[in-house]
Amino acid sequence: MFKVLYKHPVNLVMAANIAAYAVLFLFRQPFDRNALLICLLVSGVVCIIYYVVTGLKLGDEYLFLIVSMLFTLGLAMIYRLDPQLGQRQLIWFAVGLTLFFTSYLLFSKIKIWSRLGLFYAAGTFLLNIITLVFGRKINGSTSWIVIQGHSFQLSEISKILFILFLACFFKDGESGMIEIPGLKLIMGHLRKDGNEKTQIRPKASGVRGLRAFITRETQNRALLMAVTFINAFLMILQREWGTVALFFILYITILYVFGKSRLFLLCNMACTVPVALFGYFFINHIKVRVDIWLNPWSDPSGKGYQMLQSLFAIGSGGFLGTGLGSGRPDLIPAVNTDFIFPAICEELGIMCGIAVILLYFILFYRGVKIALNQSERFYRALSLGISVMFGIQTFIIIGGVIKLIPLTGITLPFVSYGGSSLVSSFISLGILQAVHPSPRVISSPGIEEAAENG
Amino acid sequence: MFDTISYIFKYIFILIMYLFIFGVMRLIYLDIKSMRGRNTGGDGSHPYLKLLNRREHLNFKVEESYTLDKDLSIGRVADNNITIADPFLSKRHAKLSVRKGNVYLEDQNSKNGTFLNGKRLERGIEAPLQDGDKIRLGNIEFLFIKAQSEPQSKVQNEV
Repeated sequence: MFKVLYKHPVNLVMAANIAAYAVLFLFRQPFDRNALLICLLVSGVVCIIYYVVTGLKLGDEYLFLIVSMLFTLGLAMIYRLDPQLGQRQLIWFAVGLTLFFTSYLLFSKIKIWSRLGLFYAAGTFLLNIITLVFGRKINGSTSWIVIQGHSFQLSEISKILFILFLACFFKDGESGMIEIPGLKLIMGHLRKDGNEKTQIRPKASGVRGLRAFITRETQNRALLMAVTFINAFLMILQREWGTVALFFILYITILYVFGKSRLFLLCNMACTVPVALFGYFFINHIKVRVDIWLNPWSDPSGKGYQMLQSLFAIGSGGFLGTGLGSGRPDLIPAVNTDFIFPAICEELGIMCGIAVILLYFILFYRGVKIALNQSERFYRALSLGISVMFGIQTFIIIGGVIKLIPLTGITLPFVSYGGSSLVSSFISLGILQAVHPSPRVISSPGIEEAAENG
Repeated sequence: MFDTISYIFKYIFILIMYLFIFGVMRLIYLDIKSMRGRNTGGDGSHPYLKLLNRREHLNFKVEESYTLDKDLSIGRVADNNITIADPFLSKRHAKLSVRKGNVYLEDQNSKNGTFLNGKRLERGIEAPLQDGDKIRLGNIEFLFIKAQSEPQSKVQNEV
């Protein structure tokens, strides 16, 4: 029986669903019929979509499998903590899946994405500014847009736009960004301001030095840094520390992988240090987070309460957990969103926690493999960016809740409760799925693909 | 009552999670092997069989290609030259013999048959193989390549 099960992992997703909701059915008195309904819905939908993805050969089939396992676990946990949130998460799941297929179709059929670099930059600005102006303060950060009682976090979408922007930047050896005539004009104008003679006598020796200094690459790099740092600044104004950290780590990683110049990388890293130091010394919020990280016992019933509850939860779960429904993970504040990991650890044991981390590892691996199979740099950077985003997000939040690094609020992709987070994760997954090369490309390994890897 | 059930189910749940990870890991293992397997293709001096299926879709180990530098037998048991655990193969399924630079395919009384370009081979008949012939056994399909192609680029080995 096990052989059949592990050779077709989709059966295991269904088995996990059945096991989890069988317990949840008995958890509340009177017996919870909705749990069975959700079980049926989720396993049905997962099964159908898995067969659609494999049957129509819509790219990599393991991505969706891994994600559906993560989602199953997350939804079961959320439903156990708060049935109403669980039902709402299910609606978001439906929305997410729709957008997953939409983004898959858009990215596999339309091929203009690599030429829209500046639009992505403008988009991130716009989203950030909208959030700053109309944002509502929830849980200490002004990053929520509230429309008719539903709250959204636009920074989740700007994350994807930022990755697209980075991919555009690296698509053509760091000089492919400026393709819009308007900007070229502005740049030319700026240069003219700097030196009147530039346009008149371009061959003059003094001018040539300046021109060589302001090459296309330098311009592009300046643009890249400007976009990144202004975005980060806008997010700092929103007090979105987790997303700021995610942005920076993502940016540095992509720069390290695809960048040509070490100096530029070092320069960027040097620029982030003062930001971090400034944050630590002058912004109380960050200082508190770092202090709690160093010593949560300094204020056990106040600032350190959440952290300590999280550690107690993981500790009381032990290796195999208390069993679904037998623990008290509801004592942790924000357990549905940021602190879902300790809840999983308490009720299903650290073994299950490790399994979750392993699942993210596999997800990341698939993403990197997709990136390696790409022949175009744009798609390569895009798929690597998305997989790195999943990886870093996981690291930041799991590291935060187990007190490995200072805690910053960010969602665990596909597991945490949160509409915007789930939707943006599914959009990214759709892009990753669309970027996956067709079988034809795989079966005839191109030499150019190998040469570019070198 | 509920506690007991929850207690039992947590073991089941953890078991399921790890079986799932084990299953996916296994597929990844096959996947990485296929990435390495690309360079074992024909070196140009011998004819070879190239796998047409995507290995990710197969649940058993198959090489990306088999070089025909000597007579080869294909089947499910270990004493064949090419052992493939495809449930639709017979224990000793087919034989490929190399004579004077030509390759002949012979079915070994297999249950599900050996198909050459879609036609089932008759019992006891040695069919000569042409370049580009498709051979199907069980779930798997091979392409026979005879052309003395140029040696494959070394760069590819580093993928």
